[in-house]
Amino acid sequence: MTATTRKTIECPVAGGDDNERYSLRMGPQHPATHGVLRVDLELDGETIIECTPQVGYLHRGFEKLAENRTYAQALILTDRLDYIAAMSNNVGYCVAVEKLLGISVPMRAQYIRTIVGEMSRLCSHLLWLATHALDIGAMTVFLYCFREREILIDLFEELCGARLTFSYPRIGGVRQDVTARFINELERFLHLFPSKIEEYETLIDTNRIWLKRTVGVGVVSGEEALALGLTGACLRGSGVDYDLRKHQPYDAYDQVEFEVPLGSDGDIYARYRCRMEEMHQSVRIIQQCIDQLPPGPIVGEDAPDLVMPNRAPARVEVGSSRYGTGLIRLIKEREVYLSGDTYVATEVPKGELGFYFISDGSNKPYRMHIRSPSFIHIGSLATIARGELIADLIANIGSLDVVLGESDR
Amino acid sequence: MTIIIMLVQIIILFVLVMLHVAYATYFERKIIGHMQVRMGPMRVGWHGLLQPIADGIKSFFKEDIIPAQADRPTFLAAPIICLVAMMTSLAVLPFAKGWVLADINIGLLFIFAMSSLSSYGVVLAGWASNSKYSFLGGMRSMAQVISYEIAMGLSLVGVMLLSGSLNLSQIVEAQGDSLFGMYLVPQCIGFFVFFIAMLAETNRVPFDLPEAETELVSGYCTEYSGMRYAIFFMAEYIGMMVMASIGTVCFLGGWNGPFSVPFFPPLWFVLKVYAFMFLFIWIRATLPRYRYDQLMDLGWKLLIPLALINIVLTACLKAMIG
Amino acid sequence: MQIQYKPKRSWLATIFLVEILQGMALTLRRLFSKPITRQYPEERPQIRTGFRGQHALVRDRETGTTQCIGCMRCAVVCPSRCIRIRSHKDKEHWNRRVIDDYRIEALRCVYCGYCVEVCPVNAIVLTEVYEYAAYDRQSIFFDMKQLLVHWDQFAAQLDRPVEEYVNPFWRPRGLPEQTLTAAKRLPVSPEWSGEQQVVGRKWRQHHRPEQS
Repeated sequence: MTATTRKTIECPVAGGDDNERYSLRMGPQHPATHGVLRVDLELDGETIIECTPQVGYLHRGFEKLAENRTYAQALILTDRLDYIAAMSNNVGYCVAVEKLLGISVPMRAQYIRTIVGEMSRLCSHLLWLATHALDIGAMTVFLYCFREREILIDLFEELCGARLTFSYPRIGGVRQDVTARFINELERFLHLFPSKIEEYETLIDTNRIWLKRTVGVGVVSGEEALALGLTGACLRGSGVDYDLRKHQPYDAYDQVEFEVPLGSDGDIYARYRCRMEEMHQSVRIIQQCIDQLPPGPIVGEDAPDLVMPNRAPARVEVGSSRYGTGLIRLIKEREVYLSGDTYVATEVPKGELGFYFISDGSNKPYRMHIRSPSFIHIGSLATIARGELIADLIANIGSLDVVLGESDR
Repeated sequence: MTIIIMLVQIIILFVLVMLHVAYATYFERKIIGHMQVRMGPMRVGWHGLLQPIADGIKSFFKEDIIPAQADRPTFLAAPIICLVAMMTSLAVLPFAKGWVLADINIGLLFIFAMSSLSSYGVVLAGWASNSKYSFLGGMRSMAQVISYEIAMGLSLVGVMLLSGSLNLSQIVEAQGDSLFGMYLVPQCIGFFVFFIAMLAETNRVPFDLPEAETELVSGYCTEYSGMRYAIFFMAEYIGMMVMASIGTVCFLGGWNGPFSVPFFPPLWFVLKVYAFMFLFIWIRATLPRYRYDQLMDLGWKLLIPLALINIVLTACLKAMIG
Repeated sequence: MQIQYKPKRSWLATIFLVEILQGMALTLRRLFSKPITRQYPEERPQIRTGFRGQHALVRDRETGTTQCIGCMRCAVVCPSRCIRIRSHKDKEHWNRRVIDDYRIEALRCVYCGYCVEVCPVNAIVLTEVYEYAAYDRQSIFFDMKQLLVHWDQFAAQLDRPVEEYVNPFWRPRGLPEQTLTAAKRLPVSPEWSGEQQVVGRKWRQHHRPEQS
């Protein structure tokens, strides 16, 4: 990590003696570390001199597990990465595998995926706002956010039968078509939701205590954010225009109009405003997708069966631009899929979620690497929190929007 | 004989206050629950009415865990110090004309002394737990109480100037002939300062830093469990009631109301205290929490100067009128 | 797009705590609004069709036992490998597979529904039952008998005849009929079968002229 030493800490007590330091292991059992994050702190009073995030308490070895599962089976692992926005991970995984295996997705499925991906973004942002506000002490926002999240989760249940671990998309499409009831309820929600955002904003947006806690706290400049590898709203809050939905469109994102909200200050408040604005944009995207939803199949012709390998995809030409880089061989005997590697990133609520696959031609990934935004965001905590107070550390953890399931994998 | 009567009075007051404390927790949970579009306790009794009793019994029978590394005597004494100091302040509160246990001439001062003393309990609890979160909580509490004590004391100087007494009953009496029978209007700055300092003194949101759960787990009472934890809890709620009572006595005209109630003279007093308590709860449901240094800023840079201005203004007013 | 901040608070608003009072007004309004809490054991959530809950093996109405044919597709597709099937060949009846035992270790199950989707004869189903917590692991380790009982229990509390019950994973919504096995081509509404899809307004407007 390229930590920049921008904050020089002067130890004002007793000639800066090390004895005056106070070390505190915050977490993994702590109400505000969003799961099982541990932060090793060196404190001077309440000022943080050194901050070392420790991850791995939720390590389940997904990357290794995926090597023993077919592509369809490994999908269920992605549910458990960022369990707050499982659908986005599912979609990201499917997009990556489709690119690796050279499978096309029908338009309707692409639109449905965009809808559910954005719903998932709303879910994630609502939970982020809820916990972020709770961390800063605004208790009521928490429950108001959960009220709306519940509606979305009910909608997911209507669509795919699960409330949290969806496994809804499949390679080459989606598993279930949308129903009229789903669309109606979703539209009703979209109609209602902006007023609810206003409600949250009434409680915190201009509140002087909220402003005091967030403005000018946890500042990351644009260059710093890039150097730290921040993505998503954390990067955009610093004013860097980087959104994969816009700049590397997948699914139906190139068919809809939306704006990428950009902050300039790079503080907690800017990130907060960015995410709030993203919620408005998500509503816009979902509404457009519903309006443009085309008819047609929901699973592509060349999509593999769930019990893989059942069908080999149609033969493709070497070097065809559709299939990413590094395609080596065509289908040989016993090799049902193309071998090669690919890295595909998608914009999940937390940032850039990348899947790197190496395929040896079998029906299981030879290697699956997950570039999880939370992991990288936690890494940046050491730089951001240095020189600030404990209370700011908590606000920063909330603002970076980390999910330990994704970070530890 | 007088001692027996006194004891009976004390017991009655004690029981009533304890009941109030128990149901204050219930109402807090209920009101915050409904403000957050949920229901609060619903299971024990009708609409959870027996919940505080159940909580009390539960905490009474829970294991009293004392950390191995704790400073044992101090650890055991800290919650008691808290509770005793808070309970003692009740003695000088005039609930109605003549309804006061000890009508001493320095009532206001006595209450200040006691509420400062109770913060010793908090500080000692933080120190004796030998836990890092507790320690930070104790330190925060110390700093907070010291700085807000000043603001609070200064904010009440205006009231003392106007009424010319430190006796709480006389303060109420003196308010009789002012506007609405209360000092709220002439002392609006003082009331504002007092109200904020009161929130800080009782460790309530937005100044609940000593026990900020998302930062310090539970602050000074992290290591406490069972009855000892409950005692801290009681002390906090009695503290709220005492502060609300002072607010009522000094700014809202105590037991005076638009008309006098024949059989239950403290009615207006009780209603005003309830209103204060509701305000406490309401604020807790709405506001985020300040940061430690911002809290200090607010105390020293805003409240204390405001309180001083208030004293000067009040003194001028008093000199001009009187 | 640069994000817009709300205008800075004026000094008057600062003194009169306007934004705090607005927030408090909101919470006060909510105090009198209807709570959204569900009192769970008394008030149950409405479970949507296709909820992935407790496992069951469909009891065949004629034979009284499972419909499973022992093709092992479910056991193969299961990502957490929690399905164990034991079967033997019945020599007298055209080498038909007879299931001796069908076990699901529900504690390992991730409720993805793949087994239901790949089953060619709709033998297994994830029912809409969600209350089956237990005090010991043994009772969440389902064997065939238990799984069949689950089906009976589920069928008993259905509000329509069992014959008409279709699980969205038996016949995935919107999948064309020709990709399904015969047993999975259950009679469903046109919306379900994909004949009558929900289509966006804009799409309809744009494409109507071409169609007509």
